[in-house]
Parts: sequence; structure tokens; C-alpha cells
Amino acid sequence: MGIIFVRTVIIFITLLIIMRLMGKRQIGEMQPYELVITLIIADLACIPMADNSIPLLYGVVAILTVYLLHQIVCFIDLNFMQAKAVISGNASVVLNKNGIDDTQLKKNNLDVSDLVENLRVEGYFALDGIEYALYESEGTFSALPKKNYQELQTSLPVIILDEGKFDKKNLQQTKKDEGYFSEVLKKQGCKDLKKVLIMTVDGNGKVYFQEKGKKYKVFYLPWEEALW
Amino acid sequence: MFRTLLSIFVTAALIACLSVWEMHYVQTTFAEFHSILETLYDKTEAQNATSEDGDAVLTYWKTKKEILHVWLPHTALQEVDFQLNEAVGFLRTQDYPGALPKIETVLGISESIPRGYTFGIENIF
Repeated sequence: MGIIFVRTVIIFITLLIIMRLMGKRQIGEMQPYELVITLIIADLACIPMADNSIPLLYGVVAILTVYLLHQIVCFIDLNFMQAKAVISGNASVVLNKNGIDDTQLKKNNLDVSDLVENLRVEGYFALDGIEYALYESEGTFSALPKKNYQELQTSLPVIILDEGKFDKKNLQQTKKDEGYFSEVLKKQGCKDLKKVLIMTVDGNGKVYFQEKGKKYKVFYLPWEEALW
Repeated sequence: MFRTLLSIFVTAALIACLSVWEMHYVQTTFAEFHSILETLYDKTEAQNATSEDGDAVLTYWKTKKEILHVWLPHTALQEVDFQLNEAVGFLRTQDYPGALPKIETVLGISESIPRGYTFGIENIF
């Protein structure tokens, strides 16, 4: 028991020093290689800590090696732009002046609802009020709102059609059926619902609608009063 | 940038020094231990090895073992402990045919352990 205690203390102090030297940021803001290091380092620390038959030095040297690799990657990351793109990746513009770029979303293994949800987390609810949205290399979203964003965000928009499929729960909130919205889209020149990338509607009847590969459209439904 | 380069250099140098020291220490210690064991084997084969000879080898091993624990898995060292203690036990009762295979086993282990700490493809993969 005493031996395990001393070994744990040594490993803990080593890890603490290494983490401080690395200048760790919050877990959610990690670069890919930082996440890899964090995953590896936990195991490296635990194995010699708990197994008496393995020399403690094995764990210490392995952690030192990981630290060395981290420093090398950091050095490359800071000094060589092309290598940085390979190691850490680039930011992707997932929403631009034409609307959502589904090609970029697919490249990053995202779907439209992921984008909408993450923009909401960032405080942006109206898609038409955003000039650009970027998916950063560390996995967070950044958005550049239009100057009149506050005017454009009139009510809470909900997704009605997500990549050609109706959201039944949100349909109930609008008190309209699929046929109603299909008719609305037909009037806007959309014949095939499968080609719809996204359609949202807010409580005032403002619709944000975009077909795959086309620019988004914003129009109002003739609702007599705000629904929410 | 200077700090990063310095930390890379210092860490790499530290790991390299530790590796070289480990390899050198393990190789020389086991080479010495092997030659001592060979002498004991020859004496046992000639049936003139005494319990003092066995104890001397055991004392040498115990001294070296303390530092070897820093570098080597403890289970590998335990195996030498078991076999050597058995061999010395046989020598105390002058059971030479019983001691010989035990010393031979320790000789084999003392050859195989340092082989596992040389830089080679078989050890890396």
C-alpha cells in the first residue's frame, strides 16, 4: 500500500509539472494532438502507478517522451503554416452570404441541425442574421452577425424541414401540417422536398428556406398573429 | 521559440542519457553476473563448490538487484531470485546434480534479460 502511495505521488507530481509546462487549456478547446496526448498520458500514468512489477521510470520516461512530442508539434504548429494545417486542421466556412454550405458541413461530418444547435449555443438564432459562420479546428463554432442582427431575430425559429424530412414535433408547434408547408414551398418554386436543405419558421411566420446548392430565401407566411 | 527549442533539447537529451545509461548498466551488470555464475557452474560441475561460493554469488546479486529494479520489470528479477536461491540451497546440502540445472537456468536468464534491452527491431515491435 505504501509503495503504491509513493508511486502515485511521484506520477502525480510528474504529470502536474508536465501539464503546467504544456500550458493546458480547457478540454473543449483542445487541438487534435492535445486531445491525443491527454488520452495517452492518462494510461501512461496509470499503468506503472498501479502495477508494482513495472519500474516507475517506465511511466516517467513515457510521459517525458509525450511531453517531448508535444513540444515538437507545438514548435511545428507555430513556425510552419502548412504543417499547422495538417496537424491542427483549418477552420471551415459552413455558412456564408448564400446560406449554409452543406459541402463543408459534410466534410466536417456535421449536419444542418448540428450547425443550428451550435449557433444557438453561441447566441445566434436567426440564420438570415448571420453573415458568416465558421467551424474552428478545435471543434467550436464562431459567427459573424449582420449589423442589423437584432432586427432580424424577431422570434424563436424552429426547424420544419431538415434535409428533406419534416420535424413532426415542430410541426405541431406551428399548428400546420406537412401539406401546408409543401404547398408553401411549391409556391416558392421548390418541387422536390428532398432537395430542401433547411426550412425554419419563427413565431411571426418568418421562413428561412434553402435548397441544396442554392442561395437561401426569406419570406413571411400570411399568419394573422404571432404563434409563439 | 527559444524556450520551446530549449525544452525539446533538454527533454531529448535527458531521455537519450537515461537510455544509454540504462543499456550500459544492464549490459555490464549482467555480463559481470554471467561470468561469476560461470565460475560457480564450473565449480559445481567439478563438485567442489561450497555453500560460501553460493552465498557470495547471492550477496553480489542482492547488491546489484537493488539498482536493477529501477530499470527492469520486477518479475524478471524475481525469476533470478527464485532460481538462484534454489541453487544455493542445493549447494548447502552438496546436491550438485540438483544445483546444476538451476545455475544453468540463471545463466540463461542473465543472457536473455540484457538482450531485451538492446536497440533492435525484435525489441521495438
